[in-house]
This record gives sequence, C-alpha cells and structure tokens, in this order.
Amino acid sequence: MNFSVVGTQFFPLLINGLALGFIYVLISVGYTMVYGVLRLINFANSEIFMLGTFATVIVTRNVFHFTIDTPTSHGGKLILILLCCLLASMAVSAIAAVFVEIIAYRRLRAKGANRLGSLISAIGTSIVLSEAVRLMTHSLPVSDPRVLAKFNLFTIHGVGLRIDQLLVIVFGAACFVAVDRFVTKTRVGKAIRAVSMSEENSKLMGINLNRVISITFLVGGLVTGAAAFMYETVYETTVFDVGFNMGIAAFTAAVLGGIGNLRGAFYGGIALGLAEEFFSAILGTQWKAITVFTVLVLVLLVRPNGLFGEAVQQSRV
Amino acid sequence: MNLTTKRTLGAAAAVAIVLGSVVATSAQAAPKSVSIAWQNAITGRNAGLGADELLGAKTALYEYNKTNPAVKVTFVNEDDVSDAASASAVALSEAQNPAIVGVLGSCCSGATKASFPAWKSGRLPIVSMSATNADLTNPKLPQSNGFPFFHRVVPTDDLQSVALARFAVKGVSSPKVYYIDDQSTYGSGLRDSTAAAFKKNGTTVVGKDTIAAGTADYSSAASKVVASGANVLVYFGYYSDAAKLKKAVDLAGFKGTFASGDGTLDNGFITQAGAASANGTLITAPTVPFELAASAAILKDFTAATGEASPAGHAYVTEAYDATNTFLQCITEGHTTRAAIQNCLQTETFSSIKGSKFTFTRYGDVTGGAPVGGFVVKNGVLAYLGNA
Repeated sequence: MNFSVVGTQFFPLLINGLALGFIYVLISVGYTMVYGVLRLINFANSEIFMLGTFATVIVTRNVFHFTIDTPTSHGGKLILILLCCLLASMAVSAIAAVFVEIIAYRRLRAKGANRLGSLISAIGTSIVLSEAVRLMTHSLPVSDPRVLAKFNLFTIHGVGLRIDQLLVIVFGAACFVAVDRFVTKTRVGKAIRAVSMSEENSKLMGINLNRVISITFLVGGLVTGAAAFMYETVYETTVFDVGFNMGIAAFTAAVLGGIGNLRGAFYGGIALGLAEEFFSAILGTQWKAITVFTVLVLVLLVRPNGLFGEAVQQSRV
Repeated sequence: MNLTTKRTLGAAAAVAIVLGSVVATSAQAAPKSVSIAWQNAITGRNAGLGADELLGAKTALYEYNKTNPAVKVTFVNEDDVSDAASASAVALSEAQNPAIVGVLGSCCSGATKASFPAWKSGRLPIVSMSATNADLTNPKLPQSNGFPFFHRVVPTDDLQSVALARFAVKGVSSPKVYYIDDQSTYGSGLRDSTAAAFKKNGTTVVGKDTIAAGTADYSSAASKVVASGANVLVYFGYYSDAAKLKKAVDLAGFKGTFASGDGTLDNGFITQAGAASANGTLITAPTVPFELAASAAILKDFTAATGEASPAGHAYVTEAYDATNTFLQCITEGHTTRAAIQNCLQTETFSSIKGSKFTFTRYGDVTGGAPVGGFVVKNGVLAYLGNA
C-alpha cells in the first residue's frame, strides 16, 4: 500500500477521478432511465456507448481526415470538429437506443412477455451489436486522432488542469443538469416519471406508453452518446468491447447510487470514478476491481437500495 | 466347393488383404498434401504481431512451392486472438483435425500456454516463432510446459530480460526505474526475470504496478509514475496497451525513457501512440530484422510471396521464416505424419535464414537462436540498433 501517493498526487487523482466519474454518470443515466420506466436493465446500453465511440472516431478520421500524426486543431475549426463529433456520437447512440427499444422490448411488451424474455432479448441485441462491430473491425483497437491539444489551462499546487478533463467535467455536469431538468420540469419528463411510478395509472391518465418509453430510450441514448464523445476526448481509443467494462462500471455506479434514481446515478458515478482512481493509486491498479466491488457489496449490505435509493425517491425517473 | 478350392480361395483372399494393406500403407506414407495450422493472432488487439509473422511464413512456403514438391503444404488459418480462451478452443479443433500434421504458432505466450492441453492430447508437433515466456519450456513445470511437442526458434525471456534491464537504462545517469506489467503470461514472466536482472545490476527500482491488458484508463498509473520520480519506465506487455500507457504518461508530464520488450515491437505501437509520442521508445527483442538476415534472392521471394515491398518494420518475420522451414524440411524428407514430424523436430538439424545450423533441445528450446536486439523508435519508424 502506498498512501504517500495520495499526498503527492491528490489533485491529479482527483481530476482524473472526476473526469472518469462524469463519464460513468452519463452512461449510468442511460441505465437508470430505462430501469425507471421498464424496471429492466438495458444490457444493450454498453453497446450503445460503443457505437457512439466509433461514431466519434469515424467523423474525426473520415469526415475531417485526421490521422494519428495530424497536428491538433484550433479556433473555429476545432469547435466545428468537436461539435460534429458530439452530434454524430449522440445521434448514433440515440438511434441505436430507439432501435433496441423497438427490436428488443416493444414487441415483447405488446405480446405480454415476461421480464426474463425482455432481459434475454436485450442481452441478445447487445451481443449482436458487439459481434457485428467485432467482425467489421477484426477486433482491432482503433485510435482516435487527437483533435484538441491537451494543454494545462491553469495550475493548482503545481498540478495542471488539462483542458480535455475540464471539458469533460463541465460538459458532463451540464448534460446531467439538462437531463435532470428535462425529467423534473418538462411535460414529457413528468410523463416519464409518471410511467416510472405506475404504468397502469399513467395509461388511465391518457399517457401514450410506447411514446414515453421511446422518448426515454432516446434521451438515454443521447446522454450515453455524449459520454462516448467525452470518453474519446480523454482516452482517444476504442474497440468493439469497449462498452463491456465501461458498461459494467456504469451499471455498478447506478446500483451504488440507487438504480432508477437519476441523482443517485450522479453520486454513484462520481463516487465510483474517484474510488477507482484512488484505490488504484494506493493499492496498485491490479486491486482496483476487487476493492471497488468490495465497497459496492458493503454499501449494498448496509443500504440495499443504494446510497440514495430511498432518500431521493421523489426524483425517481 | 471342395477343400482344395476353399484353401485356394482362402490363400488368394489372404494375399489380396496383404497386398491391399501394403497399397493402403504406401498411400498413407506418401500423401500428396498435408496441412499445417497457422495459429496466431489474426484479429484482436495483437493482430499486428500475427500479421507480421505471417509474412515470413508465406515467404518460406512460397519458396517451398517453387521447388515443385511431391507433397503440397497448405496453411489452415486458426485465429486465437492471442487470448487464452480462444486459443484453447482453436487448439482443440486443430488436435481433432486429422489433416493437420503440425502447428505454427502462436505469437504470444499466454495463448500458447493455454493451447498446450489440446495440442498434447492430439500429439501435435508445434513450432513457435515468438512465444518467449521461459516457463513454456521449463523442465521443472511439467503441468505448464509444452514438453515434448512444443518447440520454438526464439530464445526465452530469461535471455531478453537481462538485455532489457541493461538496455532500458543505457545512457541514463542515476537511473530510477518504474515498471508496469499487463498481467499476461508473457508480461508477468518478463517482469519477474527483468526485475531480478535490475536487482542483480544494482539498478534502483522506485515503483511498480500491474494493469490488466485492455484497460483504457492509465491516468492513475501515470500519476504514480510521475510521483515516484522515476526517469525510466519499463512496460511488460503488448504494443496496443503500451501505446495507451505512453500517451498517458506523456500527458502526466513524464519526461524519462520509455522502454519495453518484444511485445511492443510492432508498427501498431507507433500508429496508435502517434509518432510524436512513440519517438525515443527503446525496445528489445530476440530477433534480427528480416531485411538484414535475408539474402537478395529471399527478399525478392518475400515481395513475390507477400506483395509487400519491404519487410522493414515487421517483427519476427525472420523467426517465422525459420519456424516454417523446420516443418517444410521434415516434410521434404518424407515425414508427413504428426509422429514422424515430431521425431524429425527432435532429431534433425535445421538451417536458419542466415545459413547457420540449429537444433531443438529435449524441451523444445532452440540452440543458437538470435541475439537480443535493441530497437528505437526514430522519426516514427522502428530502427534496429544491433545487439542490445
């Protein structure tokens, strides 16, 4: 164990943890929103994330013709490229999410299939998407050329805050606030919350269930696509199974915070991101998964509904 | 039918059976074609290693076919993705395929080790061109070595580690080493032997870490490297992860030497890290670049066989060429069954691309393999520096 590294590297670890945490937050929002309305884990969310990462890479490489050795961009062109990557990632993930809802859930729901059927259907869709990309890419990892020069914006206690990490933290927070506002303040958001509380009562109130569920997948997909863009901005690489590890972590974050609870996903994601960075630094990276999941189990033993599963019930999706 | 007629017919039948079996045996002894499994990373994170090695194998096969041989040889591609689970499955299919008389591969020690049970059950002779983990031929580890079927034309990591421990700190005043491995059979094995070499040399090690292959986030590891005050970072793993680590430590502000073993000897390291980040990286590998080892005639065959203008920048092409030629020599000499080829590998003397002779030891190691070479990434290209 090396506790001294926390003293010397506290701020870099904090920034790294927050950047990773905000990516987890947005992916776990995708899980938690679907769980909120369907009471099902959308296992295909990890592949929705994966498709978003590839959309970012394709735009960078094929639309703007960047290679790994192309100099970074600046000014208006940089903003244009980042915006196009973000929109492409969000659009691809949102379309994929709605596609998954129609293919894997809607028909089964209409036929009155049990939850197990939908669960297997979602896993099957997830595998199909992952394997299709694996075959297309020959399982090769794909590097995302660096568009944004990763310079330090400013320095705190001798530690620089990189622009990409700041971008992820600020943009991640903005995305989360936007989704939270959408769910709590808009008419559609209220309909989503109504469905999450009671499907039957929502129908009686005249809410179009299929439409609300599709919108939930759409919003979840958009947010997951934003997470994919952020991931590429920081880590600059993707592969067909990139969604697996990220998806497991984000699902864990959602459970840690209290799945079905939007704000729980936020706290769970940030907590997990920080825990991963600090545990890796103190114990060694090989202990990261063990320590993180041990903490998760311990938290669930004490609070079975997650950290905020009950406390913030009113903000349930 | 009287007794005489019965006896005559019986004798005729017996002669027919004997003659038939003789004809059948002759046919089995001299088949017109045999297959060798090319088990390697054809897809996956380390596919670059498999693709490089295939160039050498193709060249050797091209030259063999030019001689219009009596026995045609074909490769059966088996993709183990350099992953243990996939490797054990494809090795089983090879063992159960009677047309396959031997295996060339795999590139990577973990996949090779995972394939041993299936290969042994099928009594398949194997020659690897780049699986360097020392335990694969360790007589003290009967449960995990490939005895008696596994052979390799490349020296082990026991040799590479000594060179890597020396090469990584060459020219660095007061070296302070930090090392990271990828938890793989190859990475952890090379780590242990290199760590022992550092200790023996009196090199200061200021920290170490272990990060599973395929990890995306190396930022906390990079922070630890910087915090340790290390001026030399050694990575034991494959090129794809090495590229991610190199980019992460650059961003964290690490300015020291980045060194790695032969798993990083692939152009994929440069294309994934970018030339700016990859430049200056030191790499060791027990190989001699094909363009230096091969004659002009072989280089011409290389281009004809592969369509590649030059073998420069491709790793272990030389060893793949030599490994393939061991099988082809055995087949040329008339050994076309698994048992006969296995016996041939254990008893014959083979010629390397440079004309030197080599044999395999009882446990499959090569006698007189290539010295450990040193490479540096310079201007976005892997440059050979000679012996490390």
